[in-house]
Amino acid sequence: MNDKDLRTQTTSGSQKSAARVGIGGPVGSGKTALIECLIPDLVSRGIEVAVVTNDLVTKEDAKRLQNSGLISPDRVLPVEAGACPHTIIREDPSLNIAAADNLNASFPELDVIFIESGGDNLASTFSLDLVDYWMFVIDTGAGDDIPRKKGPGIIRSDLLVVNKIDIGPYVGANVDLIKQEAVEVRNHRPTLLTDCKRKIGIDALVDQLIQDVLFTDV
Amino acid sequence: MTEDNKIIPLMLLQHSDSAFPSGSVSFSWGLETLVNRGMVTKADDVQAFLNAHLIARWASLDRVILVHAHQSWSDPDRLSWLDTLTEVQSLSAEQRQGSKLMGAAMLQMHCKLGTKTARELSAGISKGRLYGHVPVVQGVLWRALNFDSYQAQSMAAHGLVTSILSAAVRLSVIGHADAQRIHSAFLPAVVAALQEPVLEPEEAHSFTPQIEIASMMHEMDEMRLFMN
Repeated sequence: MNDKDLRTQTTSGSQKSAARVGIGGPVGSGKTALIECLIPDLVSRGIEVAVVTNDLVTKEDAKRLQNSGLISPDRVLPVEAGACPHTIIREDPSLNIAAADNLNASFPELDVIFIESGGDNLASTFSLDLVDYWMFVIDTGAGDDIPRKKGPGIIRSDLLVVNKIDIGPYVGANVDLIKQEAVEVRNHRPTLLTDCKRKIGIDALVDQLIQDVLFTDV
Repeated sequence: MTEDNKIIPLMLLQHSDSAFPSGSVSFSWGLETLVNRGMVTKADDVQAFLNAHLIARWASLDRVILVHAHQSWSDPDRLSWLDTLTEVQSLSAEQRQGSKLMGAAMLQMHCKLGTKTARELSAGISKGRLYGHVPVVQGVLWRALNFDSYQAQSMAAHGLVTSILSAAVRLSVIGHADAQRIHSAFLPAVVAALQEPVLEPEEAHSFTPQIEIASMMHEMDEMRLFMN
Protein backbone atom coordinates (compact mmCIF):
# COMPACT_ATOMS: atom_id res chain seq x y z
CA MET A 1 0.00 0.00 0.00
CA ASN A 2 1.49 3.36 -0.97
CA ASP A 3 1.12 6.71 0.79
CA LYS A 4 -1.89 7.69 -1.28
CA ASP A 5 -3.64 4.39 -0.52
CA LEU A 6 -2.89 4.86 3.14
CA ARG A 7 -4.41 8.34 3.10
CA THR A 8 -7.67 7.02 1.70
CA GLN A 9 -8.12 4.58 4.57
CA THR A 10 -9.33 5.47 8.03
CA THR A 11 -7.96 3.69 11.06
CA SER A 12 -11.00 1.40 11.00
CA GLY A 13 -10.14 0.35 7.45
CA SER A 14 -13.16 1.99 5.83
CA GLN A 15 -12.84 4.61 3.09
CA LYS A 16 -12.30 8.07 4.49
CA SER A 17 -14.69 10.95 3.97
CA ALA A 18 -13.19 14.33 3.07
CA ALA A 19 -13.81 17.20 5.44
CA ARG A 20 -16.53 19.52 4.08
CA VAL A 21 -15.90 23.22 4.44
CA GLY A 22 -18.60 25.78 3.66
CA ILE A 23 -17.66 29.19 2.27
CA GLY A 24 -20.50 31.70 2.47
CA GLY A 25 -20.83 35.44 2.20
CA PRO A 26 -22.38 38.29 0.22
CA VAL A 27 -22.15 38.59 -3.57
CA GLY A 28 -18.79 40.06 -4.58
CA SER A 29 -17.07 39.51 -1.23
CA GLY A 30 -14.43 37.40 -2.96
CA LYS A 31 -15.40 33.82 -2.15
CA THR A 32 -14.26 32.41 -5.49
CA ALA A 33 -11.06 34.49 -5.47
CA LEU A 34 -10.35 33.13 -2.00
CA ILE A 35 -10.77 29.54 -3.21
CA GLU A 36 -8.42 30.33 -6.10
CA CYS A 37 -5.83 31.38 -3.53
CA LEU A 38 -6.45 28.47 -1.19
CA ILE A 39 -6.17 25.69 -3.77
CA PRO A 40 -2.49 26.11 -4.74
CA ASP A 41 -1.46 26.66 -1.13
CA LEU A 42 -3.29 23.51 0.02
CA VAL A 43 -2.04 21.47 -2.92
CA SER A 44 1.55 22.54 -2.20
CA ARG A 45 1.10 21.05 1.25
CA GLY A 46 -0.06 17.72 -0.19
CA ILE A 47 -3.77 18.29 0.53
CA GLU A 48 -6.28 16.98 -2.02
CA VAL A 49 -9.08 19.43 -2.81
CA ALA A 50 -12.41 19.53 -4.68
CA VAL A 51 -15.11 22.21 -4.89
CA VAL A 52 -18.91 22.33 -5.11
CA THR A 53 -20.13 25.71 -6.38
CA ASN A 54 -23.63 27.13 -5.89
CA ASP A 55 -23.96 29.72 -8.61
CA LEU A 56 -27.01 31.93 -8.29
CA VAL A 57 -27.87 32.53 -11.94
CA THR A 58 -25.11 31.24 -14.20
CA LYS A 59 -22.31 28.69 -13.91
CA GLU A 60 -19.83 31.55 -13.74
CA ASP A 61 -18.02 30.46 -10.58
CA ALA A 62 -17.89 26.80 -11.61
CA LYS A 63 -16.52 27.68 -15.05
CA ARG A 64 -14.03 30.14 -13.58
CA LEU A 65 -12.60 27.44 -11.32
CA GLN A 66 -12.76 24.75 -14.00
CA ASN A 67 -10.82 26.99 -16.40
CA SER A 68 -8.41 28.30 -13.79
CA GLY A 69 -5.77 25.62 -14.34
CA LEU A 70 -5.55 25.35 -10.55
CA ILE A 71 -7.67 22.23 -10.22
CA SER A 72 -8.80 19.41 -12.48
CA PRO A 73 -12.15 20.53 -14.00
CA ASP A 74 -13.85 17.30 -12.95
CA ARG A 75 -13.11 18.16 -9.32
CA VAL A 76 -15.52 21.11 -9.58
CA LEU A 77 -19.25 20.38 -9.50
CA PRO A 78 -21.90 23.11 -9.91
CA VAL A 79 -25.27 22.98 -8.15
CA GLU A 80 -27.96 25.46 -9.22
CA ALA A 81 -29.73 27.12 -6.32
CA GLY A 82 -33.21 27.67 -7.81
CA ALA A 83 -32.95 31.31 -6.68
CA CYS A 84 -32.72 30.12 -3.09
CA PRO A 85 -29.06 30.24 -1.99
CA HIS A 86 -30.12 30.02 1.67
CA THR A 87 -32.28 26.96 1.18
CA ILE A 88 -29.82 24.71 -0.59
CA ILE A 89 -27.12 25.13 2.05
CA ARG A 90 -29.42 25.11 5.07
CA GLU A 91 -33.05 23.89 4.98
CA ASP A 92 -32.62 21.49 2.05
CA PRO A 93 -28.94 20.85 1.40
CA SER A 94 -29.63 17.43 -0.15
CA LEU A 95 -28.29 18.29 -3.62
CA ASN A 96 -25.10 19.74 -2.18
CA ILE A 97 -24.66 16.64 -0.03
CA ALA A 98 -25.18 14.48 -3.12
CA ALA A 99 -22.60 16.52 -5.08
CA ALA A 100 -20.06 16.20 -2.27
CA ASP A 101 -20.79 12.47 -2.00
CA ASN A 102 -20.19 12.13 -5.74
CA LEU A 103 -16.85 13.93 -5.49
CA ASN A 104 -15.88 11.72 -2.58
CA ALA A 105 -16.80 8.58 -4.52
CA SER A 106 -14.95 9.73 -7.65
CA PHE A 107 -11.86 10.94 -5.78
CA PRO A 108 -11.44 8.86 -2.62
CA GLU A 109 -8.09 10.53 -1.97
CA LEU A 110 -9.79 13.90 -1.23
CA ASP A 111 -8.96 15.63 2.06
CA VAL A 112 -11.18 18.70 1.73
CA ILE A 113 -14.29 19.57 -0.25
CA PHE A 114 -15.13 23.27 -0.33
CA ILE A 115 -18.82 24.08 -0.73
CA GLU A 116 -19.10 27.63 -2.01
CA SER A 117 -22.48 29.19 -1.39
CA GLY A 118 -24.15 31.40 -3.94
CA GLY A 119 -23.79 35.05 -3.01
CA ASP A 120 -26.15 35.74 -0.15
CA ASN A 121 -26.64 38.09 2.77
CA LEU A 122 -25.52 38.32 6.38
CA ALA A 123 -28.24 35.91 7.57
CA SER A 124 -26.80 33.01 5.60
CA THR A 125 -25.68 29.93 7.56
CA PHE A 126 -24.79 26.35 6.63
CA SER A 127 -26.57 23.20 7.79
CA LEU A 128 -24.27 21.22 10.04
CA ASP A 129 -25.47 18.12 8.18
CA LEU A 130 -23.80 19.58 5.09
CA VAL A 131 -20.50 20.93 6.40
CA ASP A 132 -18.07 20.13 9.18
CA TYR A 133 -16.83 23.70 9.33
CA TRP A 134 -17.76 26.94 7.64
CA MET A 135 -16.26 30.31 7.02
CA PHE A 136 -18.02 33.54 6.19
CA VAL A 137 -16.40 36.06 3.86
CA ILE A 138 -17.09 39.79 3.98
CA ASP A 139 -15.13 42.57 2.30
CA THR A 140 -14.07 45.99 3.37
CA GLY A 141 -15.75 47.54 0.33
CA ALA A 142 -19.14 46.88 1.93
CA GLY A 143 -18.26 49.32 4.72
CA ASP A 144 -16.70 49.09 8.15
CA ASP A 145 -20.03 48.76 9.95
CA ILE A 146 -20.67 45.19 8.72
CA PRO A 147 -19.50 43.41 11.91
CA ARG A 148 -21.78 45.68 13.97
CA LYS A 149 -24.78 44.39 11.98
CA LYS A 150 -24.14 41.03 13.65
CA GLY A 151 -25.80 38.76 11.10
CA PRO A 152 -25.71 35.01 11.82
CA GLY A 153 -23.01 34.60 9.15
CA ILE A 154 -20.75 36.96 11.09
CA ILE A 155 -21.58 35.65 14.53
CA ARG A 156 -21.98 31.92 14.03
CA SER A 157 -19.38 31.01 11.40
CA ASP A 158 -16.37 29.03 12.57
CA LEU A 159 -14.10 31.50 10.87
CA LEU A 160 -14.75 35.05 9.67
CA VAL A 161 -12.64 36.26 6.75
CA VAL A 162 -12.43 40.01 6.11
CA ASN A 163 -11.35 40.12 2.49
CA LYS A 164 -10.12 42.91 0.18
CA ILE A 165 -8.28 44.73 2.93
CA ASP A 166 -6.34 46.46 0.15
CA ILE A 167 -9.34 48.53 -0.94
CA GLY A 168 -10.43 49.60 2.55
CA PRO A 169 -8.55 52.93 2.52
CA TYR A 170 -10.01 53.84 -0.88
CA VAL A 171 -13.63 53.43 0.23
CA GLY A 172 -13.26 55.04 3.64
CA ALA A 173 -13.41 51.76 5.54
CA ASN A 174 -11.29 51.43 8.66
CA VAL A 175 -9.83 47.91 8.42
CA ASP A 176 -8.51 47.97 11.98
CA LEU A 177 -11.97 48.88 13.25
CA ILE A 178 -13.55 46.04 11.25
CA LYS A 179 -11.10 43.58 12.76
CA GLN A 180 -11.54 44.91 16.29
CA GLU A 181 -15.35 44.86 16.17
CA ALA A 182 -15.46 41.49 14.42
CA VAL A 183 -13.34 39.96 17.17
CA GLU A 184 -15.63 41.51 19.80
CA VAL A 185 -18.96 40.44 18.29
CA ARG A 186 -17.55 36.95 17.68
CA ASN A 187 -16.40 36.67 21.25
CA HIS A 188 -12.79 36.21 20.11
CA ARG A 189 -13.44 33.32 17.77
CA PRO A 190 -11.12 33.34 14.72
CA THR A 191 -11.21 36.34 12.38
CA LEU A 192 -8.62 36.72 9.63
CA LEU A 193 -7.78 39.51 7.18
CA THR A 194 -6.98 38.71 3.55
CA ASP A 195 -6.04 40.40 0.30
CA CYS A 196 -6.34 37.89 -2.53
CA LYS A 197 -4.61 40.14 -5.07
CA ARG A 198 -1.37 40.23 -3.11
CA LYS A 199 -1.92 36.87 -1.38
CA ILE A 200 -1.83 38.51 2.05
CA GLY A 201 -3.26 36.39 4.86
CA ILE A 202 -3.65 33.26 2.75
CA ASP A 203 -0.96 31.26 4.53
CA ALA A 204 -2.53 32.09 7.87
CA LEU A 205 -5.94 31.05 6.56
CA VAL A 206 -4.61 27.72 5.31
CA ASP A 207 -2.84 27.18 8.66
CA GLN A 208 -6.16 27.81 10.42
CA LEU A 209 -8.01 25.34 8.16
CA ILE A 210 -5.38 22.66 8.61
CA GLN A 211 -5.49 23.07 12.36
CA ASP A 212 -9.29 23.28 12.73
CA VAL A 213 -10.46 20.96 9.96
CA LEU A 214 -7.72 18.42 9.30
CA PHE A 215 -6.58 18.34 12.94
CA THR A 216 -2.93 18.23 12.03
CA ASP A 217 -0.02 20.36 13.15
CA VAL A 218 0.86 23.21 10.84
CA MET B 1 -58.75 4.71 15.46
CA THR B 2 -55.52 2.99 16.56
CA GLU B 3 -52.48 4.98 17.61
CA ASP B 4 -50.81 4.02 14.30
CA ASN B 5 -53.76 5.29 12.32
CA LYS B 6 -53.78 8.55 14.23
CA ILE B 7 -50.18 9.25 13.37
CA ILE B 8 -50.47 8.52 9.64
CA PRO B 9 -52.17 11.84 8.70
CA LEU B 10 -49.44 13.75 10.51
CA MET B 11 -46.78 11.70 8.76
CA LEU B 12 -48.43 12.44 5.42
CA LEU B 13 -48.15 16.15 6.16
CA GLN B 14 -44.53 15.79 7.24
CA HIS B 15 -43.42 13.82 4.20
CA SER B 16 -45.27 15.90 1.62
CA ASP B 17 -44.33 19.24 3.17
CA SER B 18 -42.04 21.42 1.07
CA ALA B 19 -39.87 21.66 4.20
CA PHE B 20 -39.02 17.95 3.82
CA PRO B 21 -35.59 17.96 2.13
CA SER B 22 -36.04 16.59 -1.38
CA GLY B 23 -33.92 18.85 -3.56
CA SER B 24 -37.07 20.02 -5.34
CA VAL B 25 -36.20 23.68 -4.77
CA SER B 26 -33.60 23.47 -7.55
CA PHE B 27 -35.92 22.15 -10.28
CA SER B 28 -38.33 23.95 -12.60
CA TRP B 29 -39.00 20.97 -14.93
CA GLY B 30 -38.69 23.10 -18.09
CA LEU B 31 -40.57 26.15 -16.82
CA GLU B 32 -37.50 28.39 -16.57
CA THR B 33 -36.73 28.08 -20.28
CA LEU B 34 -40.31 28.80 -21.29
CA VAL B 35 -40.44 31.85 -19.02
CA ASN B 36 -37.08 33.17 -20.25
CA ARG B 37 -38.25 32.84 -23.86
CA GLY B 38 -41.54 34.60 -23.24
CA MET B 39 -43.67 31.51 -23.78
CA VAL B 40 -45.03 31.48 -20.24
CA THR B 41 -45.90 35.02 -19.15
CA LYS B 42 -49.03 34.87 -16.98
CA ALA B 43 -51.02 32.78 -14.53
CA ASP B 44 -53.04 31.02 -17.25
CA ASP B 45 -49.82 29.89 -18.92
CA VAL B 46 -48.52 28.51 -15.64
CA GLN B 47 -51.75 26.59 -15.16
CA ALA B 48 -51.49 25.19 -18.70
CA PHE B 49 -47.88 24.17 -18.05
CA LEU B 50 -48.91 22.49 -14.82
CA ASN B 51 -51.75 20.71 -16.56
CA ALA B 52 -49.42 19.39 -19.27
CA HIS B 53 -47.00 18.10 -16.68
CA LEU B 54 -49.72 16.47 -14.62
CA ILE B 55 -51.72 14.84 -17.40
CA ALA B 56 -49.18 14.12 -20.10
CA ARG B 57 -46.23 13.14 -17.94
CA TRP B 58 -46.99 12.55 -14.26
CA ALA B 59 -50.33 10.73 -14.57
CA SER B 60 -49.33 8.53 -17.49
CA LEU B 61 -45.74 7.79 -16.44
CA ASP B 62 -44.61 8.73 -12.92
CA ARG B 63 -47.91 7.78 -11.30
CA VAL B 64 -47.94 4.41 -13.06
CA ILE B 65 -44.38 3.64 -11.98
CA LEU B 66 -45.08 4.85 -8.43
CA VAL B 67 -48.16 2.65 -8.04
CA HIS B 68 -46.38 -0.47 -9.33
CA ALA B 69 -43.26 0.26 -7.25
CA HIS B 70 -45.53 0.67 -4.22
CA GLN B 71 -47.02 -2.77 -4.96
CA SER B 72 -43.64 -4.40 -5.64
CA TRP B 73 -41.66 -2.62 -2.97
CA SER B 74 -39.86 -5.76 -1.84
CA ASP B 75 -39.11 -7.18 -5.30
CA PRO B 76 -35.71 -5.80 -6.43
CA ASP B 77 -35.91 -7.23 -9.95
CA ARG B 78 -39.29 -5.69 -10.67
CA LEU B 79 -38.21 -2.37 -9.16
CA SER B 80 -35.18 -2.39 -11.42
CA TRP B 81 -37.43 -2.99 -14.43
CA LEU B 82 -39.81 -0.18 -13.42
CA ASP B 83 -36.84 2.12 -12.94
CA THR B 84 -35.53 1.28 -16.41
CA LEU B 85 -38.93 2.04 -17.93
CA THR B 86 -38.79 5.51 -16.35
CA GLU B 87 -35.29 6.05 -17.70
CA VAL B 88 -36.20 5.18 -21.28
CA GLN B 89 -39.42 7.21 -21.20
CA SER B 90 -37.58 10.41 -20.25
CA LEU B 91 -36.32 11.93 -23.48
CA SER B 92 -34.34 14.98 -22.36
CA ALA B 93 -31.22 14.57 -20.25
CA GLU B 94 -32.24 17.21 -17.72
CA GLN B 95 -35.65 15.63 -17.05
CA ARG B 96 -33.95 12.25 -16.63
CA GLN B 97 -31.22 13.64 -14.43
CA GLY B 98 -33.68 15.70 -12.38
CA SER B 99 -35.76 12.63 -11.59
CA LYS B 100 -32.68 10.72 -10.47
CA LEU B 101 -31.29 13.61 -8.40
CA MET B 102 -34.60 14.04 -6.61
CA GLY B 103 -34.79 10.30 -6.00
CA ALA B 104 -31.26 10.34 -4.58
CA ALA B 105 -31.98 13.38 -2.39
CA MET B 106 -35.09 11.77 -0.95
CA LEU B 107 -33.28 8.50 -0.39
CA GLN B 108 -30.39 10.23 1.33
CA MET B 109 -32.80 11.79 3.84
CA HIS B 110 -34.60 8.50 4.49
CA CYS B 111 -31.28 6.72 5.06
CA LYS B 112 -30.60 9.28 7.78
CA LEU B 113 -34.09 8.78 9.22
CA GLY B 114 -33.61 5.00 9.19
CA THR B 115 -36.66 4.32 7.00
CA LYS B 116 -37.02 0.62 6.25
CA THR B 117 -35.63 -0.39 2.81
CA ALA B 118 -33.85 2.96 2.28
CA ARG B 119 -30.37 1.52 2.71
CA GLU B 120 -31.11 -1.47 0.44
CA LEU B 121 -32.42 0.88 -2.24
CA SER B 122 -29.40 3.14 -1.88
CA ALA B 123 -27.06 0.13 -2.17
CA GLY B 124 -28.91 -0.92 -5.35
CA ILE B 125 -28.12 2.48 -6.90
CA SER B 126 -24.49 2.42 -5.76
CA LYS B 127 -24.04 -1.01 -7.33
CA GLY B 128 -25.66 0.07 -10.60
CA ARG B 129 -28.75 -2.14 -10.28
CA LEU B 130 -31.05 0.89 -10.11
CA TYR B 131 -31.11 4.40 -11.55
CA GLY B 132 -33.14 5.63 -8.57
CA HIS B 133 -35.84 7.61 -10.37
CA VAL B 134 -38.10 9.53 -8.05
CA PRO B 135 -41.38 7.58 -8.62
CA VAL B 136 -39.63 4.31 -7.78
CA VAL B 137 -38.07 5.79 -4.65
CA GLN B 138 -41.38 7.38 -3.60
CA GLY B 139 -43.30 4.15 -4.14
CA VAL B 140 -40.93 2.03 -2.09
CA LEU B 141 -40.24 4.43 0.77
CA TRP B 142 -43.82 5.55 1.22
CA ARG B 143 -44.95 1.94 1.21
CA ALA B 144 -42.31 1.24 3.86
CA LEU B 145 -43.85 4.05 5.93
CA ASN B 146 -47.27 2.36 5.60
CA PHE B 147 -48.84 4.97 3.35
CA ASP B 148 -51.41 3.37 1.08
CA SER B 149 -51.24 3.70 -2.69
CA TYR B 150 -53.79 6.53 -2.93
CA GLN B 151 -52.00 8.48 -0.21
CA ALA B 152 -48.66 8.00 -1.96
CA GLN B 153 -50.09 9.17 -5.29
CA SER B 154 -51.68 12.21 -3.66
CA MET B 155 -48.40 13.15 -2.00
CA ALA B 156 -46.48 12.84 -5.28
CA ALA B 157 -49.03 14.91 -7.19
CA HIS B 158 -49.03 17.52 -4.41
CA GLY B 159 -45.23 17.66 -4.56
CA LEU B 160 -45.30 18.23 -8.32
CA VAL B 161 -47.86 21.03 -8.06
CA THR B 162 -46.13 22.86 -5.19
CA SER B 163 -42.71 22.48 -6.79
CA ILE B 164 -43.80 23.98 -10.12
CA LEU B 165 -45.83 26.76 -8.53
CA SER B 166 -42.95 27.65 -6.24
CA ALA B 167 -40.61 27.80 -9.26
CA ALA B 168 -43.12 30.05 -11.06
CA VAL B 169 -43.18 32.45 -8.09
CA ARG B 170 -39.38 32.57 -7.96
CA LEU B 171 -39.29 33.22 -11.71
CA SER B 172 -41.61 36.20 -11.06
CA VAL B 173 -44.21 35.04 -13.55
CA ILE B 174 -46.91 34.80 -10.85
CA GLY B 175 -47.31 36.18 -7.35
CA HIS B 176 -47.77 34.19 -4.14
CA ALA B 177 -51.56 34.72 -4.18
CA ASP B 178 -51.77 33.61 -7.81
CA ALA B 179 -49.90 30.46 -6.83
CA GLN B 180 -52.53 29.59 -4.23
CA ARG B 181 -55.39 30.45 -6.61
CA ILE B 182 -53.94 28.16 -9.26
CA HIS B 183 -53.34 25.45 -6.67
CA SER B 184 -56.95 25.57 -5.47
CA ALA B 185 -58.34 25.64 -9.00
CA PHE B 186 -56.12 22.74 -9.94
CA LEU B 187 -57.21 20.32 -7.20
CA PRO B 188 -60.16 18.84 -9.17
CA ALA B 189 -57.77 18.01 -12.03
CA VAL B 190 -55.48 16.22 -9.56
CA VAL B 191 -58.40 14.26 -8.13
CA ALA B 192 -59.58 13.34 -11.65
CA ALA B 193 -56.08 12.10 -12.52
CA LEU B 194 -56.03 9.97 -9.39
CA GLN B 195 -59.39 8.39 -10.27
CA GLU B 196 -58.19 7.10 -13.65
CA PRO B 197 -57.41 3.36 -13.87
CA VAL B 198 -53.70 2.75 -13.44
CA LEU B 199 -51.96 1.62 -16.62
CA GLU B 200 -49.79 -1.46 -16.78
CA PRO B 201 -46.07 -0.62 -16.59
CA GLU B 202 -45.60 -1.51 -20.27
CA GLU B 203 -48.22 1.13 -21.13
CA ALA B 204 -46.52 3.92 -19.15
CA HIS B 205 -45.68 6.86 -21.38
CA SER B 206 -45.25 10.62 -21.54
CA PHE B 207 -45.86 13.13 -24.31
CA THR B 208 -44.76 16.66 -23.47
CA PRO B 209 -42.79 17.75 -26.55
CA GLN B 210 -42.64 21.46 -25.71
CA ILE B 211 -41.39 20.73 -22.20
CA GLU B 212 -38.84 18.21 -23.48
CA ILE B 213 -37.52 20.71 -26.04
CA ALA B 214 -37.43 23.43 -23.37
CA SER B 215 -35.41 21.10 -21.16
CA MET B 216 -32.95 20.42 -23.97
CA MET B 217 -32.55 24.16 -24.61
CA HIS B 218 -32.02 24.73 -20.89
CA GLU B 219 -28.86 22.60 -21.02
CA MET B 220 -27.18 25.35 -23.05
CA ASP B 221 -28.70 28.40 -21.39
CA GLU B 222 -26.24 30.78 -19.78
CA MET B 223 -28.74 32.33 -17.40
CA ARG B 224 -30.26 29.65 -15.24
CA LEU B 225 -31.51 29.59 -11.70
CA PHE B 226 -32.65 25.96 -11.80
CA MET B 227 -31.05 22.61 -12.53
CA ASN B 228 -33.68 21.84 -15.18
